Amino acid sequence: MAEHALLPFLRAQSQNSLTRLYGRPSACLSVSRLLQPLEQQIVMSLLWLEAPVAMASISSWTLPTKDAQRQWEAAIGSLNSLHLISETRGAIDLNPMFRAGLRTAILGGGTHQSFGVPCDKSDKEGKDGKRGAVTIDFLDKHASQKWETILHYMVSSGTEQGMKPSEGVLYLLRNGGLMSSATPSTITSKGFQFLLRPPHAQLWDLLSQFLQMSEDRGMDLVEVLSFLFMLSTMELGQDYFTEFLTETQEVMLEDLRDYGLVYQRKAKSKRFHPTRLATTLTSSLPPLLSSSMKGSSLESNPAGGTPDSQGFIIIETNYRLYAYTDNPLQVAVLNLFVALKSRFPNLVVGALSRESVKRALDNGITADQIISYLTTHAHPMMRKNNPIISSTVQDQIRIWENERNRVRTEEGYLYNDFRTERDYQDVLQYARQLGMVVWESDAKKIFFGRLAGHENIRSFISRRTQSGM
Amino acid sequence: MPPNRSNLDLSDSDYDEEVDVDDYDGGRKHTGKTKGKELPKNRDMGLGGKDGYSWEATYTRTWDAVQEDEGGSLQNAVEDLLARGRRRRLLAPTGAIRRTIIRHLVILIDLSSSMLDRDMRPTRFDLTLQYTREFIVEWFDQNPLGQVGIIGMRGGLGEKIGDMTGNPQEILKTISDRDKLLPDGEPSLQNALEMARSSMNHLPAHSSREVLILFGSLTTCDPGNIHDTVQAAISDKVRVSVVALAAEMKICRDLCNKTGGAFGVALNEGHYRDLLFEAIPPPAQRANPSTGGSALSSNPSSDLLIMGFPTRIPESSAPSLCVCHSELKRHGYLCPRCLAKLCDVPTDCDICGLMIVSSPHLARSYHHLFPVKPYQARTTIADAAPETCGGCSLAFPVPRVTLSDGSASGVSPVGRYGCPDCQKDFCSDCDEFVHSVLHVCPGCS
Amino acid sequence: MSQSAQSHLTLILDLSPKQWHLSSLEPDGQALSLLSFITQVLAFMNSHLALRHENTISVLGAFPRKSVMLYSTPGANDSGLDSTAPQDANTYQPFKTVDTIVSSRIMEEMESISDSIDSPTGLVGALSKGLCHINRVINPATRSSIESSSPLDPRMLILSVSPDMSTSYIPIMNTIFAAQKLKVKIDVCKIFGEDNVFLQQAAHLTGGSYVALMQRNALLQYLVMCFLASSSLRKIVAFPTHDRVDLRAACFCHKDIVDIGYVCSVCLSIFCSPVPVCSTCRTKFPVKTLRRFGFGPPKAVGNGTSKSGSATPQ
Repeated sequence: MAEHALLPFLRAQSQNSLTRLYGRPSACLSVSRLLQPLEQQIVMSLLWLEAPVAMASISSWTLPTKDAQRQWEAAIGSLNSLHLISETRGAIDLNPMFRAGLRTAILGGGTHQSFGVPCDKSDKEGKDGKRGAVTIDFLDKHASQKWETILHYMVSSGTEQGMKPSEGVLYLLRNGGLMSSATPSTITSKGFQFLLRPPHAQLWDLLSQFLQMSEDRGMDLVEVLSFLFMLSTMELGQDYFTEFLTETQEVMLEDLRDYGLVYQRKAKSKRFHPTRLATTLTSSLPPLLSSSMKGSSLESNPAGGTPDSQGFIIIETNYRLYAYTDNPLQVAVLNLFVALKSRFPNLVVGALSRESVKRALDNGITADQIISYLTTHAHPMMRKNNPIISSTVQDQIRIWENERNRVRTEEGYLYNDFRTERDYQDVLQYARQLGMVVWESDAKKIFFGRLAGHENIRSFISRRTQSGM
Repeated sequence: MPPNRSNLDLSDSDYDEEVDVDDYDGGRKHTGKTKGKELPKNRDMGLGGKDGYSWEATYTRTWDAVQEDEGGSLQNAVEDLLARGRRRRLLAPTGAIRRTIIRHLVILIDLSSSMLDRDMRPTRFDLTLQYTREFIVEWFDQNPLGQVGIIGMRGGLGEKIGDMTGNPQEILKTISDRDKLLPDGEPSLQNALEMARSSMNHLPAHSSREVLILFGSLTTCDPGNIHDTVQAAISDKVRVSVVALAAEMKICRDLCNKTGGAFGVALNEGHYRDLLFEAIPPPAQRANPSTGGSALSSNPSSDLLIMGFPTRIPESSAPSLCVCHSELKRHGYLCPRCLAKLCDVPTDCDICGLMIVSSPHLARSYHHLFPVKPYQARTTIADAAPETCGGCSLAFPVPRVTLSDGSASGVSPVGRYGCPDCQKDFCSDCDEFVHSVLHVCPGCS
Repeated sequence: MSQSAQSHLTLILDLSPKQWHLSSLEPDGQALSLLSFITQVLAFMNSHLALRHENTISVLGAFPRKSVMLYSTPGANDSGLDSTAPQDANTYQPFKTVDTIVSSRIMEEMESISDSIDSPTGLVGALSKGLCHINRVINPATRSSIESSSPLDPRMLILSVSPDMSTSYIPIMNTIFAAQKLKVKIDVCKIFGEDNVFLQQAAHLTGGSYVALMQRNALLQYLVMCFLASSSLRKIVAFPTHDRVDLRAACFCHKDIVDIGYVCSVCLSIFCSPVPVCSTCRTKFPVKTLRRFGFGPPKAVGNGTSKSGSATPQ
């Protein structure tokens, strides 16, 4: 299982800011959720101990197998880099701030208010009674609508008429290299790759972009991070007061509203609702998000015609593809690499063809991404197969990808007409030392060198000819 | 022998139908083509819409097996399946019956060239191997003290594939290599039966001797008079059951009838599996021999055995010599009488001769002795009835408005099943789970 | 790496008032009252929920002659709002919900106990209910709501204080086999009292751990180190392995736990002493065998004993 996208970012932070972050119990809880199981076990085992534990006794916690030892050391290293544990004089101890924070989180209590200040129920009843309460369904719909607007904008490269995401989002997309910064901006190959990623990864891609950006904007990262973590521990369907947020966080709220992570009735509203996108931030389970997205995106058939909202693609060994969806975004994404043939109220039929896949490959999408997209969105009936996507189809997609790799272009110079074998060998030897030889033929006494090495090789040849004369 | 009976009946009715259709066609000047079309339909109806002879089915139409209701929902079909399961359970005898539990079984697998027929997919041979594997796992699960051996019938000879053993892994290993078992030549019932009989000769009287034959061929190639072998089997109290894949053979049926076994012809893949798995529950021993067969009257005499339940020593303990192999080992089992260290159970203690078994092995079969009473389908929801199931503590499903006439077939229209003893309500999932896996009523205990 | 994203923990609390009373009367340092037990268990439950957003828990209580489902994580699609627990900015809401419900339910049940303080606890009921629940959760085919179909990793933890209940030997074994079939590991933590033969077997047969608590005041640390990890992690981290496992059984006649028993060859019923007729299947045993075991009808006493002396190795 891959490491969570946020961890490398956290590692890059200074010990000070991390320790400040760990001052908040909600952040401690969220960070511990991002860890690998083994790391979690170590943290939890240390959590309730008062004194540091000697390294020797700690290493007896693992099985004496090589594999286990290796994983153990990796886990310790990873925790160290997050400044969660510290090693002093051969003993390991938990970061005291983190320990206090996580203990508070688990036991409850304190006055840190790091889990967000909820609005009183009775208060809500009185005020919002007429306007109708914000239901979870509504939040899900809102979140997926916002999110799909972004994706749809990307997939249509901004050409299609329709909802346009806000300027902040566009800026983020351009800044992250997902859309080109030219006007009208078009989707980049990185953007195409982004589209095929699982929804949860997309969210974090965008958020880490956001974190990078907020760093540039001079926002306090600890504030930003702790707000994200606070969101992730909030309760879906509950509304929270904005007045307890710091200034930075209020600015963030605006951005997050654009991404669909939070919902506010009005821009100046004093309360906000986290959506499912936000509350599942630290969850590693994409289906939660995707199911909520798709479940609510079936606006046209509210009865919920699809039996299982998790997967909708059936692909046969003859490359025919049936997608049970009426979601324009999904159709558009499929259109990236499928030749769509016919469309029905809840079904799209198409086929993978050499042309359609090559088109996708030209856009910078890789074969693996296509296959993983098909796998993640496979229909439940397909999931009974092993492998889920038949190997014929998988292999063919890879073969099409390999076709592109038959010819590679490289700029450079062809060196020929060597007078003697010796000349040829010497120059070739020299070029090899530079690592500039792309191709050589001893029989014909010619070789091809990279452009970068040309100057050196030419001067070498001229030096040689001079000294030889 | 229900499978066989229905089989015979059906073939009769099929024949009748055909004649009818012929006459009918003749009268209405229909072409032969129509007749061909209509025939399978009649046959399907005769077979309950689902089971066709697999050698007749050119195309398998899985979608024919389920019926949608007007709304296109499969709920009714699923319900029917559930109902069938419930009915079977209700019909099953309750109360403690005497069953043989220390069982010995030899499986005779036909490895003649007729097993390469493709009327059962992928081939009879592959299917048989696959089912045999499942069978063995399930068999050992329910008969932990039993032993299984495997003999193949190939090239006119009986071929020992796996010796009698109580370890399912060992047996599975012997039939794991498909290439070693490739069918060839003619089968020989007599040779294989003699081999099976002799391998069970030494067994004590209280254990059962059973032979299960998976027979695909319609011939047997024997060196002598097979009726002598049948007599020998009867006198040795060997119970022979046959699952035929092709058709009924007189000798096979006689063999089963005379030795008290079961005989069945598999109609299709699913039916084959059902027939095979019928051999898993320990055969009931009837106190007075009924019409089943004369062999039962003198069936294994009962006996009281003395057994020891050992203490297991973990891997982390200090190594010591075991009494069975005289090897230094860390883990093992201690005989409760003489404290000798043994490598594995069940076994007889080499020092004091006590039979050492692990008590969980015995306990595995106790659910046969004390089965959970079948739950009764509730037809109405009592006023004071709780909202959650007595088993899983989850809410009951909301009763649907459209109801098939389920109440008659033992399916509760409100999705609740009540225990006759503790009067608690359970959902259909828990009902199924309690009776097929758990064997404990969550309400009564 | 094959690692299930979600793990489900079924916690069975042995809440026998008598045993907990005895436990709190232990000498210094070893006393553990019910109250501090509950506090530590709640912290452990929160730790389990803290590991992953998707982790679920159900808590069953075994009271005298009764077993109750105290709490189970509602399905992912259910409304997250629970009116029983008011929101609070200082606590993670799911933790608060679990804690409030579990502790209030325990108190409720405890108060309703009146006369049956001495009766054995409904451990089997709790076990079977827990398994029924797991069965429903891991076989989502018939569930009404669509939930994530990611592989669950269900396991069970029994926190036991009561001694063996030999009367429920067969039901306990049946639940163990059912757990085996569902691939549910049963972990056992023996907090107070003698080692429990049947629960040892439960842990042994399902591949779980059996731990007898040495220092009762460090309960939480024990729980976290031994029982928090999911099964995938147990391949890496050293967990307490089994000490000796007692494979004894309870006899059918007197419900005594025996190490050498007399077994009916027909139905495998176990008896602690030779009997002429199997009480379960009504099989009559041969006189010859009975004599060999030193049992005989009164008229044959002399004969029987003389024979048994020579035949039975002592």
